[in-house]
Amino acid sequence: MSTSSNSGASNAEVVIVGTGVVAAVVAEQLLDAGLSVLMLEAGPRVSRAEIVENYRNLPLGNKGNAIASYPSKPWAPHPEPKSGRPGDDYLQVSGPNGIGYLQSYVRYAGGSTWHWAGTCWRLTPEDMRLNSLYGVGRDWPFPYEELEPYYVMAEYKLGICGPSDAAEQWPQGVKRSKPYPMPELPFSPGEEKFTKVMREKLGLRNVHVAQARNSGMPYDSRPACCGNNNCVPVCPVGAKYDAATSLGRLEAKGATILHNAVVYKVETNANNEIAAVNYLDPNKDSHRITGKTFVLACNGIETPKLLLMSADERNPNGLANSSDQVGRNMMDHPQLAYKIKLKEPYWTGLGPVVNSGIMETSQGDYRSRHAAAYFRFNNFAQNRFVTFDTLKQGLIGRELDEQLRHNTATSGMIVAAHEVLPDPENRLTLSDKKDWLGLPKPAVHFDVGEYTRRSAREFSEPMIQRIADAMGVEEAPTSPGFRPSKHIMGGTIMGKDSSNAVVDDVCRAYDHANLFLPGGGAMPSTATGNSTITMVALAFRASEAIIRQMKTGA
Amino acid sequence: MKTFTHSLLLSAAVLLSPLALAQASNDAETLAKGEYLAIASDCTACHSQEHAAKPFTGGKAISSPVGTIFATNITPSKAFGIGNYTEEQFANALRKGIAADGSHLYPAMPYTAYAKLTDEDIHALYSYFMNAVKPVDQPVPETELPFPMNLRFSMAFWNALFLDDTVHQDDPEQSESWNRGRYLVEGPTHCATCHTPRGLLMQEQGDQFLAGAQVGPWYAPNITSDKVSGIGSWSKAEVVQYLKTGHVEGKAQAAGSMAEAISYSFQHLSDGDLNAIADYLATVPAVNTASDNRFNQGEPGNKLAAFRGKDFHEDTSAPGARLYSGSCASCHGYNAQGTEDGYYPSLFHNSVTGEANTSNLIATILYGVDRETEAGGHVFMPPFGDQPNALNNLDNQQVAQLSNYILDMHGLKGTQVTPEQVAEIRAGGAQSPLIQYARVGMGVGVVVVLFAIGLLWHRKRKK
Repeated sequence: MSTSSNSGASNAEVVIVGTGVVAAVVAEQLLDAGLSVLMLEAGPRVSRAEIVENYRNLPLGNKGNAIASYPSKPWAPHPEPKSGRPGDDYLQVSGPNGIGYLQSYVRYAGGSTWHWAGTCWRLTPEDMRLNSLYGVGRDWPFPYEELEPYYVMAEYKLGICGPSDAAEQWPQGVKRSKPYPMPELPFSPGEEKFTKVMREKLGLRNVHVAQARNSGMPYDSRPACCGNNNCVPVCPVGAKYDAATSLGRLEAKGATILHNAVVYKVETNANNEIAAVNYLDPNKDSHRITGKTFVLACNGIETPKLLLMSADERNPNGLANSSDQVGRNMMDHPQLAYKIKLKEPYWTGLGPVVNSGIMETSQGDYRSRHAAAYFRFNNFAQNRFVTFDTLKQGLIGRELDEQLRHNTATSGMIVAAHEVLPDPENRLTLSDKKDWLGLPKPAVHFDVGEYTRRSAREFSEPMIQRIADAMGVEEAPTSPGFRPSKHIMGGTIMGKDSSNAVVDDVCRAYDHANLFLPGGGAMPSTATGNSTITMVALAFRASEAIIRQMKTGA
Repeated sequence: MKTFTHSLLLSAAVLLSPLALAQASNDAETLAKGEYLAIASDCTACHSQEHAAKPFTGGKAISSPVGTIFATNITPSKAFGIGNYTEEQFANALRKGIAADGSHLYPAMPYTAYAKLTDEDIHALYSYFMNAVKPVDQPVPETELPFPMNLRFSMAFWNALFLDDTVHQDDPEQSESWNRGRYLVEGPTHCATCHTPRGLLMQEQGDQFLAGAQVGPWYAPNITSDKVSGIGSWSKAEVVQYLKTGHVEGKAQAAGSMAEAISYSFQHLSDGDLNAIADYLATVPAVNTASDNRFNQGEPGNKLAAFRGKDFHEDTSAPGARLYSGSCASCHGYNAQGTEDGYYPSLFHNSVTGEANTSNLIATILYGVDRETEAGGHVFMPPFGDQPNALNNLDNQQVAQLSNYILDMHGLKGTQVTPEQVAEIRAGGAQSPLIQYARVGMGVGVVVVLFAIGLLWHRKRKK
């Protein structure tokens, strides 16, 4: 692939910064409505085969690192801790749980869905009304019923498989307006056993993950999942939706996609509308792209960073930031992960890496006291995690093989994923440190907060111990503490009141009528389930507003 | 009086032409029979752009070696379809390649095969199209072939030379099943249209019946009873399984237009008819076209050691093996062994890699596979060409390297694919030299051409 990025294009009706899932979905809606679209990607555009081979070339000890297969380019660093690469100390973290915010994302064409697991839990109606119901956090500016049709669009666009049995669906007891386009994927043997044990011993329901993965059939001109158990860091066959699978289709529909184009300044005009974006190419030459409407969809860290970097005379604290909320309320699903050693073989690894979860624990009046959590038994094949320890046992030949099999079957990981509340002190700022292009690195101060800490203390850690006991473990599991789930939310928060929110209920910036900021940054609450499906639902909602605004001025 | 005159006229007409005023039947049995025949004849494969949504409305572009031909609307629409066709006109189109307005069809329409259809079956088909297919008023693009192929009247000469319009007759020496099989193979299912090689003037070569031919980017292989180069080594059950599912593990799988034929047509035929086809195919005269059996070539293996651990962009002695690993191994296995259930076929002991004609290997890589049957599920291999949904966009050089690696490791050793061949398959297959010949012929020696035609005519008459 070329490293040059300028095709000579300099304008479009809609300019979209980013090529990830939100950008790709918005782009397709606008193209289908007859608008011209230009997309800018900071990083390179590479083939799936290259990423697959990068992964296979990694030493065994590094295969668990979701980012190692995506070496960042000097001009588009993404967080690559302890790698010696351009992204080594790119994301500066601090605060009581700074290490819990050391996010993984990639600046590659196609974005971070390249390496997501594909998990698509919807929010529940209650998840969107935390303040009204439990007196904590923020409410969404609209109810679940308004989001529901956009969830359906997301499910059909991404190809999300899920159970047809209402009792197995999440959220439970909430009407869906349309069934999933594909049936759920079957459980692995380990998940079968886990589900049975949870039901019989703890009365908990472990349900199928709704996931953006072709289940037993081709969908969206992509093949069915063949169970490589390789979803993170990359689906080698394109059975899992990632935005890279849609870029060719967007181009066929007329989109211009520039890669290696690092947007560093968004420009306003005298009316404080957006006039242009400026980007640097790998030769550090600057280019300017003009348009009528602008969409920043370049991830929950890069979007607020870009807004802050674009401060000008009219917007001295950064664009879209009259509320002073840009970069604040940084959220994730802080997770506690526990390696477990089981007494009996469970065998995870058949099918996708995350394939089921206990969601029902995430709801309840307890949320007025502490954060919600959901629990899952990961379905990663364990052989790559147990090999080193097994080798250290000094066995050879058949004994080694047998021990490896045994350890693979009896190892696993259980995870508690928590919600956090929007806290203005959890804040992204521009670091004094500069990257290769001389642009400021992002810095995030993060504290999961007492609400979430109390959940761990009173609720999730005890629950994990009960789950482990029920499964039958050799010893009580421990966790190294809160780690990121890589679900970046909150930095451009949505709300009814422009004095404490960055965007309105269609993700339009309060300060700039032609600037849209759809995606995770807009989410006012996190709940516990992975954020992508909600980000995509917001992308559909924003797309409708953009089209309405451009066609009718409304 | 009026009635009498009418009857008189009718009788006269009936006497003149037994089909002229026949009415389409509307009874369930005839309509069902007509539908079955339409499925067996796979009309939808060419005459529908969207098989399920808008059947028989035409408009599909059929690439032929002499240019693109647009299939017509064959719904009973009076404005754009065949709504005004009499049964005789319908029969003439199917069996003689002559449309209602007297113009000649191109033999992309397999009328040379449908010529075998019995009157009874023509009637059932006509009844089905007139009474059971929904009329859709939708125009289709005009077919505009390059000069001189645009001279449709020239097809009259072609027909005179090459159209055998004798209706199928049972051979009393043979079993009922064999006769049924022969009728299906030579008539409705028009196997020869793709599987029989064509001569200079695009005519099927009778002495090479079903001996294998190029169809656009794909190669329709030898399916004669030859034990080495045909399917003489297949059991009858395997032939039936193939026609039902498009796949016989360790032997072959259908892609391209054969995948369509399986999906839309063969899988829906009765077991009796599929067995009849197998019965007849087993007796098709063996034509030996290759010294190697395409079903048992190659073995498992890999060359991972040549590049594993090296940077993706670093040179390797085995570029094809690296392409295989990056694009193919995740489904077909690191040793090309496929899966135990056969859903992902092994690449050794596979007719695609064991065949000396490499078109199907190249075309499978470039275009993928899309085949859906009740018994075999929806088989979908993504393409690796220029398509928006290509899993990886492989260029001609890469497809050649990948093909050569697969052939050497898992297929017919010694077979070579060049980037030029890949370019040709990517462009849709070889173009016929017929246009050039015809133009040159017209320019410098009309007389020679006429003489040649005259000579062929003479020979044909003598046969």
